[in-house]
Amino acid sequence: MITRERVEAVLDRVRPFLQADGGDIEVVDVTGNSADVRLTGICAGCPSAQMTLHLGVEMALREELPEFETLRLI
Amino acid sequence: MDTATATSDSLVVGRSARMRAVFEFLRVIGSSDSTVLITGESGTGKEVTATLIHESSRRKHHPFVAVSCALFSETLIESELFGHERGAFTGAIKDRPGRFELAEGGTIFLDDIDDVPLSMQVKLLRVLQNRTIERLGGTRTIAVNVRVIAGSKRDLKQMVAEGKFREDLYYRLNVLPVALPPLRERREDIPVLMDHFLQRYFRRRGEDQPQISDAVKQAFMRYNWPGNVRELENACERIAQTCTCGTVRVGCMSATILFRAGSQAPGPPLPAAAEPQQAAAVSLDDRLRELESNLIAWALRVSNGNKSRAAELLKIKRSTLGDRIARCALGGAPQTAEREPAAEAAGAARL
Repeated sequence: MITRERVEAVLDRVRPFLQADGGDIEVVDVTGNSADVRLTGICAGCPSAQMTLHLGVEMALREELPEFETLRLI
Repeated sequence: MDTATATSDSLVVGRSARMRAVFEFLRVIGSSDSTVLITGESGTGKEVTATLIHESSRRKHHPFVAVSCALFSETLIESELFGHERGAFTGAIKDRPGRFELAEGGTIFLDDIDDVPLSMQVKLLRVLQNRTIERLGGTRTIAVNVRVIAGSKRDLKQMVAEGKFREDLYYRLNVLPVALPPLRERREDIPVLMDHFLQRYFRRRGEDQPQISDAVKQAFMRYNWPGNVRELENACERIAQTCTCGTVRVGCMSATILFRAGSQAPGPPLPAAAEPQQAAAVSLDDRLRELESNLIAWALRVSNGNKSRAAELLKIKRSTLGDRIARCALGGAPQTAEREPAAEAAGAARL
């Protein structure tokens, strides 16, 4: 089981970049080994940002938390 | 694949001292006919450099033929380079000139020379020495007037030491050596390259280059670029294809670059692998202190001087961070941290 703190720690790697661009990523829920996150701010409505962050966050979570399963961008 | 001409678009770009030195050297050797050996990691621009050398030489009105020696099997490479006569092997239904003949009067670029098998190396050596070739299955000796440029991603001298590359061929090739530095060793060129490629790809889309956010610039500066200029070029193409909102922001970047850049704390590189060979003493304590102080300065910078946040980033307690700041004499760290982006901005403005 992964914890919200561990997911947050991975997200913290890119937060400074996102925040500098007027955006952020928010952990909505962590259930079992999966997480729901939401893009907020300026990148929220951008399809490219959705793709970048979905792929990137999932990749980073899998690297750091081998037990991680699914990332849902909501 | 075989011929290429340098357009203003494909020239090597860079203003760092190391690239300026390379350009100066290229200017010096432009009029020469001697063999050039270009060494550089994958993606550093070996073929572009070879094209540049050809285009600035007296041979520029003759062919430039580029061959990747890694593409062919041991048997095929001989036929590719030297050609074959009809009936030389099954399927050789007609005479076919090789790349050396096709480059007559011009330049041949033998890329991935480090992938040429030892058995072929001796044949190449003969060609370089005698400037003659014999087609596969033929008996006629054909004189060739070709300037040879070789490209290698590995250090040939090291390969010679390991017995994987012929020493005589190495010396024959290494007449005019050109070493292309990896992008991570000339980071000051990253903004220039970014501008160059973004302009190119937005122009191809028929659009003006939009503004680029500072966060994107910082991520590009911090990323390590293992694929060098080629990787940076692809990253810029991706941005030009995906940016829809008029400003390039981090969301337009590749996820890999964003996350790798995010996990990379800036700071001086660790001692290079070459240093221990030089047997110079390295103070482990000093190096660790330097690393620690850089990481703390980085954390304070990205958290805008907020020590609790910086401590979270470094996965240490807030109180521990306080102690370490004192130990590293970083008392003025937040100020130092604020100065650094300003210095970066000034550097970018100069470019």
